[in-house]
Amino acid sequence: MDPEKVVVCRCEDVLLSDILKAIEGGYRDLESIKRLLRVGMGSCQGRHCLPIVARVLAKATGLRIDELNYPPSRPPLMPIQIKCFLSDGNEE
Amino acid sequence: MIIGGGSTGLMISYYLLKKGVKSVIAERKYPGSGNTYKCATGIRASFTSREHIALMKRAIELWSELKDELGVFYERSGYLWLLSREEDLRAFKTYVSFQNEHGVPTKVIDLSEVKRLAPTIVTKDLLAAVHDPLAGKASPFDLVLQSWRFLVEKGCKVLMGVEAKKILMSGGKVLGVETSAGFIESRAVVLAAAYDTVKMLKSLNISVPIEPVPKHAFITEAYRDLFKPLIIDWSTSSYVVQTHHGNFLVGSEIPEKPGDKPLSRLEFLRKASKVWTKYFPWMKEAYLLRYWTGYYDTTPDHHPIIGPLDGLEGLYVAAGFSGHGFMMSPSVGEVMADWITEGRPKILEALNLSMSRFREGRLVKEAAVFG
Repeated sequence: MDPEKVVVCRCEDVLLSDILKAIEGGYRDLESIKRLLRVGMGSCQGRHCLPIVARVLAKATGLRIDELNYPPSRPPLMPIQIKCFLSDGNEE
Repeated sequence: MIIGGGSTGLMISYYLLKKGVKSVIAERKYPGSGNTYKCATGIRASFTSREHIALMKRAIELWSELKDELGVFYERSGYLWLLSREEDLRAFKTYVSFQNEHGVPTKVIDLSEVKRLAPTIVTKDLLAAVHDPLAGKASPFDLVLQSWRFLVEKGCKVLMGVEAKKILMSGGKVLGVETSAGFIESRAVVLAAAYDTVKMLKSLNISVPIEPVPKHAFITEAYRDLFKPLIIDWSTSSYVVQTHHGNFLVGSEIPEKPGDKPLSRLEFLRKASKVWTKYFPWMKEAYLLRYWTGYYDTTPDHHPIIGPLDGLEGLYVAAGFSGHGFMMSPSVGEVMADWITEGRPKILEALNLSMSRFREGRLVKEAAVFG
């Protein structure tokens, strides 16, 4: 498959070719690649894309997944509207 | 050798390189992984001490240079301090005149001007605001990733996943650092490791008055540009900034004890949501994507500890930025490079910020802190 035609991160429009270029540029950890390309920083917060990037990076570097600085999961579990934190949902 | 690969450590390495000195950075996790990547991204000189203003005026000049030299996103989009109480307005009038005397162009503005700077804001609870047009914001991601790449290209070392274990001294002089990757010899060692600085110096029987205070922030999905300045609600110690990418980054102070483990707290989400949806009702509909915690490594006078340590030749500290480390990192890098290569900083106000001020009782005052 042409890496320029494979979308790895749909939220932030990151292609497989972008990931491969970053790895070629010397990046060896997911936390840095995330901030370089914004992969995993959109609405899915990496739930869909980061496992794919991790696999590509592990394959390219020979490192184990637990050696890649896999970004931690943080709240909320899913995107949630700000009004949910107001006491009546519609507070002035 | 520099311990800590955050914005501070990287900028020290960067300005040392400008003086022809190649350094080694030991970073425990990955560059930016401490406070830098968790910060609010704001940059301002609107402080209330000569020391902060001098360091930040220089930093702001250097941020412009870094934009050109490294391609770091940086913009002078201003700060807007919202004031809703008479006593705050009175206090800020004195801060503004102090800032103006020291070359920081802040001014008190009326509500129509607030509306012009943030068109969707509801101003009914406000008295006035202070606008700082010299302030702005930058991308911590760009600063770390671009300076890291640049340093490595020029022959400096940035060791990732290497933990400094112990500083070795002999006859009052630094010999080097014992790390998880072996001994690294160096005649000059800079501790730019945030709260880890305190732990490292403890093993040399030096106590450093820095306390890590947990802080909270969340970020929403991205919107089109709605306002440029970083906005502070002074009475609730809260801020909101729209990032370069369009997301809203929100912080708000809730009671926390120094040294406590930072936990996710509904109290924070409730307070921050209440404060900012009052000013921006449309924000009720915005989706929150991520909530994280970090620290303000706070000193008794909210000023950093930068400079050498008395009686320990070759050992330097740059830590305790009390929430202002990222914004200050370029001028701190320059000051530390001066200390190391010339034995004295060119910014004279920085002389007041070494460790000895605590022993000598020369604390510096700062009133304009929030978040």
